[in-house]
Amino acid sequence: MIPTLLGITIVVFAISRMAPGDPVALSMGPGGMMDAQRAADVRAARMKLYGLDKPVYVQYAIWLGRVARLDFADSIKHHRPVIDLIKERLPVTLTLNLISFVIIYAVSIPMGILSAVGRKKFLDRTGSVMLLMLWSLPSMWVGQMLIGYLCGPPLNWFSPAGLSSNEAEQFPFFQWLADRLWHLVLPVFCLTYAGLAYLTKQVRAGMLDNLRADYVRTARAKGLSNWTVIFHHAFRNSVIPIITILATLLPAMFGGSVIIERIFSVSGMGLLAFEAVTTRDYNVVMGVATIAGVLNLFGLLMADIAYAMVDPRISFESAV
Amino acid sequence: MVENKQQKDWGTSYGEMVWKEFAKSKFTLCWLGFIILLFLLAIFAPFLANDKPFVIKIDGQLHWPIFKALTASDYSILLAAIVALVQFLLVLRNRRSVDPSIRSGVLWRQITISVFIVLVGVILLFIFIPRRLDATDYKSMVASGKATGAVFAPVPYGFGRTDLKVREQPPNRQHWLGTDDVGSDVLCRLIHGSRISLSVGFVAVGISSIIGIIIGAILGYSGGKTDFLGMRLVEIMMAVPVFFLIITIVAFFPRSLFNIMLIIGLTTWTDDARFVRAEFFKLRRQDFVQAAVSLGLPLRSILFRHMLPNAIAPVLVNASFGIAGAIFIEAALSFLGFGVAPPTPSWGQILSLGVSTTGRFLWWLTLFPGLAIFFTVLAYNLVGETLRDAIDPRLRESV
Amino acid sequence: MSDNGILLDIKGLCVSFFTEDGIARAVQDVSFSVKKGETFALVGESGCGKSVTALSVMRLIADPPGKIVAGEINFDSRNLLELSDQRIRAVRGNRIAMIFQEPMTSLNPVYTVGEQIVEAIRLHQKKEEAEAWDIATEMLRKVGISDPAQRVNEYPHQMSGGMRQRVMIAMAISCKPELLIADEPTTALDVTIQAQILDLLDQLQEQSRMSILLITHNLGIVAERAENVAVMYASRIAELSDCKSLFDNPLHPYTQGLLQSLPRLGFTGKRLYTIPGTVPEPLRFPAGCKFHPRCPIGCNDKRCQTVEPQLRRLDNGGGACPSDRRVACWFAPGYERPDDPKL
Repeated sequence: MIPTLLGITIVVFAISRMAPGDPVALSMGPGGMMDAQRAADVRAARMKLYGLDKPVYVQYAIWLGRVARLDFADSIKHHRPVIDLIKERLPVTLTLNLISFVIIYAVSIPMGILSAVGRKKFLDRTGSVMLLMLWSLPSMWVGQMLIGYLCGPPLNWFSPAGLSSNEAEQFPFFQWLADRLWHLVLPVFCLTYAGLAYLTKQVRAGMLDNLRADYVRTARAKGLSNWTVIFHHAFRNSVIPIITILATLLPAMFGGSVIIERIFSVSGMGLLAFEAVTTRDYNVVMGVATIAGVLNLFGLLMADIAYAMVDPRISFESAV
Repeated sequence: MVENKQQKDWGTSYGEMVWKEFAKSKFTLCWLGFIILLFLLAIFAPFLANDKPFVIKIDGQLHWPIFKALTASDYSILLAAIVALVQFLLVLRNRRSVDPSIRSGVLWRQITISVFIVLVGVILLFIFIPRRLDATDYKSMVASGKATGAVFAPVPYGFGRTDLKVREQPPNRQHWLGTDDVGSDVLCRLIHGSRISLSVGFVAVGISSIIGIIIGAILGYSGGKTDFLGMRLVEIMMAVPVFFLIITIVAFFPRSLFNIMLIIGLTTWTDDARFVRAEFFKLRRQDFVQAAVSLGLPLRSILFRHMLPNAIAPVLVNASFGIAGAIFIEAALSFLGFGVAPPTPSWGQILSLGVSTTGRFLWWLTLFPGLAIFFTVLAYNLVGETLRDAIDPRLRESV
Repeated sequence: MSDNGILLDIKGLCVSFFTEDGIARAVQDVSFSVKKGETFALVGESGCGKSVTALSVMRLIADPPGKIVAGEINFDSRNLLELSDQRIRAVRGNRIAMIFQEPMTSLNPVYTVGEQIVEAIRLHQKKEEAEAWDIATEMLRKVGISDPAQRVNEYPHQMSGGMRQRVMIAMAISCKPELLIADEPTTALDVTIQAQILDLLDQLQEQSRMSILLITHNLGIVAERAENVAVMYASRIAELSDCKSLFDNPLHPYTQGLLQSLPRLGFTGKRLYTIPGTVPEPLRFPAGCKFHPRCPIGCNDKRCQTVEPQLRRLDNGGGACPSDRRVACWFAPGYERPDDPKL
């Protein structure tokens, strides 16, 4: 895991250094007012200031050291430490994603099992196609349509922006909570539906495969009831690929956060990244990318550990 | 070449079996037809939506404005389309009159020649065709009577034309799908936007497939230390959330269509690499590989001539999903404002205008580009899934 | 238990698979019986319907696409095909048990071997957890697995193929079944292990007077281990007889061809005999006798080409010993009856 962690930092650092354009020249602005010698001196001084006069790997080491202490320098736009901005915004994104996660897994697994077990030919195909359609819906379109039709007049069911109403600070706790939840409905929906469709299909496919397996036939031959065979034997084997899907679901949801937070004006890390890219706030971009990568890696690690616990064929050492 | 041989003697090839299975789903075939329609839209876009007329009579002389104003990229697309069509017809002819034992060799030769023609043609076109800009306002000429007998394209608007007098209009008789915030016709921009979407889809997936195949083949074949190190690299790529990585790169690098294709291609190859690696692991122990090694064949021949054709099936399936994904990513980037710069039309960019700066919901700027993205992504996903079902269970049983 | 010692009596069993390419009649009109304590072999090439017949006994045919369309399967005088779901489950694993061909995949990879055996014991014998585990360990010892107390906590992937098959057998006999159906139990194993497994089955049978329905394509095993044998071809039984008579004097041309193909000691010819042609697919069975396209005697006979011969008891016994031999061939001696169609 450590090498992968380092690798992420290398990738992020490499991108920032490979970018065309000279950050020093940028910071110096048009040099029409200085003569050549003074310009060269200022340039040299600036390069020393930013550490750009050292070789690349030294620059990387310095940067890495600072990153390890969570020092991502200051945001160019906000003039505050990047890490503070991230600390403010991260909980929002995590809450959003966590809720979506729980919903996805809680709904998809039963749906997938049921659709695999109750097999009517026609329902099979149409169900599969409907799930595919759900998965193919672009999230920005869904979000914008929902805002357009549900948030404005005449329906006014939901609020189109933010996570709390303006007066939320003054609400008593339960009202505040209810207000929060009400605001969360649309963003969570947009973040959830695609993963739900995907996971349901995977569970269904996994169950179908496993229900045809030899050991299921053995289990039936032992006289076990249908439900025991489905849950205790077939599903237990299906759990393994479901956990591996975590690995693909997490980064997709991080990415989806950027779009959803932008559409619904939710102040999370995704919106932070969006603003940073738009305003070319390089420090924030690098900070967000690194943190997102680390979080993702953490999620993958959890998935690996869960995988090792669930599948006796995998030894614990090979997972970590 | 053996002419007039009975096809029945040859049985059905792998490709034919897959196609037969694929064609059983009429629903998917409809969507395949949609994809073809989309391609036609993209190829003939300048003829379908253009503010210049096909033919116009000025002062008694016939002019052909559309044709004179075709750019190098227009010609390149037409060239590629013609070559692709010819290649497709050749494939059909191969099935009928070429002996199966030499068919794949013949096919590879044909494909190489086709690709070569296209590449050379594109380069030549870009060198020799100048960048023209014909700013003549043909419509006002017709209106004022200076010109007569003008035949306009079905959607008589150009995608770059702005007309602030008609901005943000809902669908009406002049603009069938309405106008956007600077007055450009939405339908026209949708048609031209199909070029962007399709080209991003194919080029990005092409890049990611090639990278994925090469890396997967080397890792899968070598095993041991090379594989261990290589998989660390793959894991690093997988550990970074792809979309974050893409917007990070977009932040630092200049915006251009090719950059976007390249970036998407460089960040989405991990799936293909894993599939190819898994297949190569399985194939490595098979006898025909051992035989090739013992004959002393060079590594690239073993990997790409012998093993790869057997491992390519999951890559093809993943390619279809990859195209859908790439189209979605491009639309998302354009929606966020990180994609191609206006006036280049992109469906995602039109979508982003759906909520105006004043907060008004402009439904026609949301519904139509959204439908376009949705249908295209759905079509490729459907084709991919049907292809996977066609390749997977049935054919595995017969093998 | 019936008086004449018959444990399993199958009458006129027909099983068909309804696929999108057509109806595949995998088993047609199959009848035979297994006595208490005997080993009955069901022999045939791949695709002849012997496995489907075996699966039908415990109603393990996947429905859809398969369906038992006709016949009776009488176990201990009760027709298994008429039992409710609950009752047939009480029979499975308890009074009739089955072991399968692929020990690699027939055990659930995520549970220990002990857990899987205990599951069966607790279901049918209503024992407490601890006692069930003791029985499971005892079963492993009985099938010849060394150090059973440790093995019982191991996972299938930690064991070799031969050991896994022993585990399957242990699981099958754990509830002391009266009938053990063994579907090609040794096909996927090494030759040396094959003999051990078959010896084990013999041994267990001696100890408990269990009947064995042995499905195989290996005539050598049949000759060594079975008392009675039915030869199946293309969904039907071609010949049914006791073992000795079958090998001494095969009556059906298919059986004759099979025996002729076996290599023998002292063989001095250049090429082994093979039956010409291939086994027909269930979706495309020939008309008349299903074997006639490959039969040296009947390929040109009009009756063999058009009328299917039924399995009949022979009038004169067809051999030195008076036995219950049945054949389905127009040319078998003693087969013809006065009211048969003549062509």
